[in-house]
Amino acid sequence: MCDQTPNWILQHPAYQQMKDLEVGDSEQLHAAFLVYMDLTEVRRWKEVSCVKSPELQVVLLKAKEKEGASVQTIFPLPVHRSLSHRSIRQVLDRGFPVLLCAVAADSTLVYQRMTDGLVTPDPPAGPFQDVGRRQHRKRRQQH
Amino acid sequence: MLADPAVSQTSMCSYWLSPVCGVLESPSMDDHQDSSLVVGVGLCDSAPLLWRLQDLKTVRSLGLVGALLGSLPRTPRQNQRLGRPLLLLPEEEKLLRDEEAAGALPGQNQDVGGVELQRRFEEDQQRSFEEQSVLALEDRKSALLRAMTSSHTGESALRRRLEALDHSFTFPQSAMAVQLSTARAGLSYCPEARAHLQANWPIREQNSPRSDARCQVFRDLRGRGFFLTSAGKFGGDFLVYPGDPLRFHAHFIAVCLMLDESVCLLDVLAVARLGSNVKKTVLLCSP
Repeated sequence: MCDQTPNWILQHPAYQQMKDLEVGDSEQLHAAFLVYMDLTEVRRWKEVSCVKSPELQVVLLKAKEKEGASVQTIFPLPVHRSLSHRSIRQVLDRGFPVLLCAVAADSTLVYQRMTDGLVTPDPPAGPFQDVGRRQHRKRRQQH
Repeated sequence: MLADPAVSQTSMCSYWLSPVCGVLESPSMDDHQDSSLVVGVGLCDSAPLLWRLQDLKTVRSLGLVGALLGSLPRTPRQNQRLGRPLLLLPEEEKLLRDEEAAGALPGQNQDVGGVELQRRFEEDQQRSFEEQSVLALEDRKSALLRAMTSSHTGESALRRRLEALDHSFTFPQSAMAVQLSTARAGLSYCPEARAHLQANWPIREQNSPRSDARCQVFRDLRGRGFFLTSAGKFGGDFLVYPGDPLRFHAHFIAVCLMLDESVCLLDVLAVARLGSNVKKTVLLCSP
């Protein structure tokens, strides 16, 4: 890391590409780049590209989790920002599954899946067993 | 430095209400227009409470859950199982009002009610006493008969006692068994006139855009057949159940927002993390 130039990010071709989208938000641009690096190098997603969202004036990423999978939209955002339900809907309206990614100042990334509509959660994992009266009695005796 | 990112397992859903406000569509709606399904809502300060058992049943049949607040007389010092009254959510009360299914509880006419109840109580006591004396006498006789048949000595003495019993038997009042009816204690109401709620209902709510959003979301989800309760424990507005809460766990935590309301990304992450920990999907809802 030490012998790399400190401006390696600014010179990275992907960064240049994102900059050319001219979103006008350098902070969000930086966040988008970090997410790009994570998707390509760490998670090794395929066909990662950047696109501009005209309604939101942000850089969005498009990628596939693996070869042959369907395209997803990734929405990178610095963690201290706020957003509205409408902006989330606008990203969802692109028609692809959406991953919101919060980028912290120390480059920690947290992804959150956003879905249109009502998605039932996974049921609790079994096996289940009745706890029985002994457990209840134990708890009561603790008082 | 790129730390290992965490991918939250819960999906966060964006949910767009259709512009038409939902109407209750539960199958028991056929008799909904029947005026006997008007429930009496008592106001305690500004809290809408239901006291009568029939009202609670009615309201549950309309798919509204509410929250029980009272303690049960037989299991007082616990809050796992609570009793009447039932507190309604503001959205539930508004729904009832709009469907014209809620009326004000009449004020209790204390004097007349009290005298009537006392008279009835004393009559019941007297009747019970008479029945019990008859039964006590028969009991005594059969006891003596049994004593006669089992022991052959002293039979004549016992027979004389038996014959004297009819004249000399007294059943003291103090020996009477008194039954206390806890089922109806204090909550029985006389038949009342139904007053539909109009402008004379005290205006308590502050019509903020947030409460309006909540109300519309409540109606829409209720119209789709979900049951909703308050979600204070989970930092949301409502818990959404696919059916009666007694039968199901909640599937969703509904958070009601206006479409353009600005929300911190950190808050979004926090509520999503909470949702995944309790196995519920967080629902962002806007009218």
